[in-house]
Amino acid sequence: MSARTIGEDLRAVAAAEPDRVAVVAEDSRLTYGRLDELADRVAIGLRKLGVARGDRVALVMANSEQLAIAIYGVQRAGAAYSPLNPTIKRDKLGYVLANAEAAAVICDEDRGEVAGAAAEMAGGAPVITDVLALATDDGEPPAPALDVDLSALIYTSGSTGDPKGVTLTHRNVIFAADSIIEYLEMDARDRILCVLPLSFDYGLYQLLMSVRVGATLVLERGFAFPGRMVRLLEEERITGLPGVPTVFQVLSSLRGLSERELPDLRFLTNTGAALPAGLIDAIQRTFPRARLHSMYGLTECKRVTHLPPGQLASRPGSVGIPIPGTDAWVDDGDGGRAAPGEVGELMVRGSHVMQGYWGDPDGTAERLRPGRWPWERILATGDLFRADDEGYLYFVGRSDELIKSRGEKVMPREVEDVLLSSPDVRQAAVVGVPNRLLGEAVHAHVSPEPGQSIDAAELRRHCGAHLEDHLVPQVVVVHDDLPLTSNGKIDKRALASEARSLLPA
Amino acid sequence: MSEEQILVQNGSVRRELRGFIEENFLYLEPELELSDSDDLLALGVVDSLGFVELVEEVQARFGIAVDDIEITEENFGSIDGIVAFVDRKQAA
Repeated sequence: MSARTIGEDLRAVAAAEPDRVAVVAEDSRLTYGRLDELADRVAIGLRKLGVARGDRVALVMANSEQLAIAIYGVQRAGAAYSPLNPTIKRDKLGYVLANAEAAAVICDEDRGEVAGAAAEMAGGAPVITDVLALATDDGEPPAPALDVDLSALIYTSGSTGDPKGVTLTHRNVIFAADSIIEYLEMDARDRILCVLPLSFDYGLYQLLMSVRVGATLVLERGFAFPGRMVRLLEEERITGLPGVPTVFQVLSSLRGLSERELPDLRFLTNTGAALPAGLIDAIQRTFPRARLHSMYGLTECKRVTHLPPGQLASRPGSVGIPIPGTDAWVDDGDGGRAAPGEVGELMVRGSHVMQGYWGDPDGTAERLRPGRWPWERILATGDLFRADDEGYLYFVGRSDELIKSRGEKVMPREVEDVLLSSPDVRQAAVVGVPNRLLGEAVHAHVSPEPGQSIDAAELRRHCGAHLEDHLVPQVVVVHDDLPLTSNGKIDKRALASEARSLLPA
Repeated sequence: MSEEQILVQNGSVRRELRGFIEENFLYLEPELELSDSDDLLALGVVDSLGFVELVEEVQARFGIAVDDIEITEENFGSIDGIVAFVDRKQAA
């Protein structure tokens, strides 16, 4: 029997192997039996709170056992969850809660105040600061979701600055998870180390895939102390390590790691941003036994391509081929397929493609186009690619100004809006500048209102008060006037190349 | 090295570290009075990438080599922890 919904898969593993460990977090071990039981009890608590099938529940939590319990509890309630960055600020959270018409917010204790203020802005959804306090046996279990129901509503930065909610049904999520499980050859013997936040879909799927195959997920709050990661790799006999370039950059710069045996570590995955060729070599020297999967994706369909590890040496710059059961190709501009070598927008077909952006028909129409069948829609990624003669895909660039920092998306517009909300700032432009650790660093260029001056440190504080951590500019450069193009727009290209010229060679 | 010399050196390691942390990590929280024993991670002063910068800075500034397994909470979790770690490494 194969589970049709996220949550049914947990039930199956828990029934067969209740004592197997599902999640290791902060050195405590949560078994499948216990996770299953707590998910059921949280679901009853949510139902008593008024959460019904199809409702949306926002999760503002750092990686923890509690977050895993909350995710499966919401699914068992027949509802959908929105995993949000735990450092999200009040106004953005308020926007998301109102947009999602969230029925409840579950957050970490120390986020209670922010969540309460945001919920008040958005119409007063109840805020729960301890998911375990919801757990109860006293009540009827809720009706389960169908596979066509909404499973997750994942917010991603939109080009206009407001986040967009990517709608994924259970069928979408399960299809994507199973396709990835297939090429990574994951099974119940796997022990995955996840240092990526579950609010990031790449992190989230580590939990979902791990539970689907009955594996063990070692869940960390981040990779703050690499020494701890090294210890976990050895002591927890980790078999799979998903990372972004920043994580691998850090690990491959550590002294002594390449001398460790790590006999269990069989695969590494990278996405979020491309790996520079030098880093690929460094990773292979650090982890000579592990196979490295280079991948590309976007939240709107989770994952698009993967490069089989055997191809890494001959096609180092490629992100590979479509994931199993899907198709992806370069558009020729007329709805056909571009010839090898030609650059065009990457298009995607398959059951992993989202249902659209929540409550945003215009945004949806921009990304989802009519497909082969009357009922099908294909995904236009907005990213430019080319294919080689054998169909391997290469990322060329973005058709918008998106910055990738620490593997996460940064929409310049969102940061610029916050910069411009400071009364001292007249002009603002945010550009990405290559950075060894971050992939790209967020650089802000600003000019002051007449008669005003700008204190760069003060302005970064202003950003920190209104933006998640990864959106706060690393560098603020104050100009008298920003350079303009012949069209009178701020010349971001000039700003970006000026910054590049200042980098050490 | 005499005990006095070590104390003087400790004082300068501490001062330099504090200067680096204030300049690079405390801009978001100017009101925060960071004590030498405060937990840098729990207080949100330094995040995961910050520690990498901090480790690189410590290696370069104090001329020590930091092994993979040494980048732990005990050694890098507070100013006191880092000072003690640098002291041990320099003495070794």
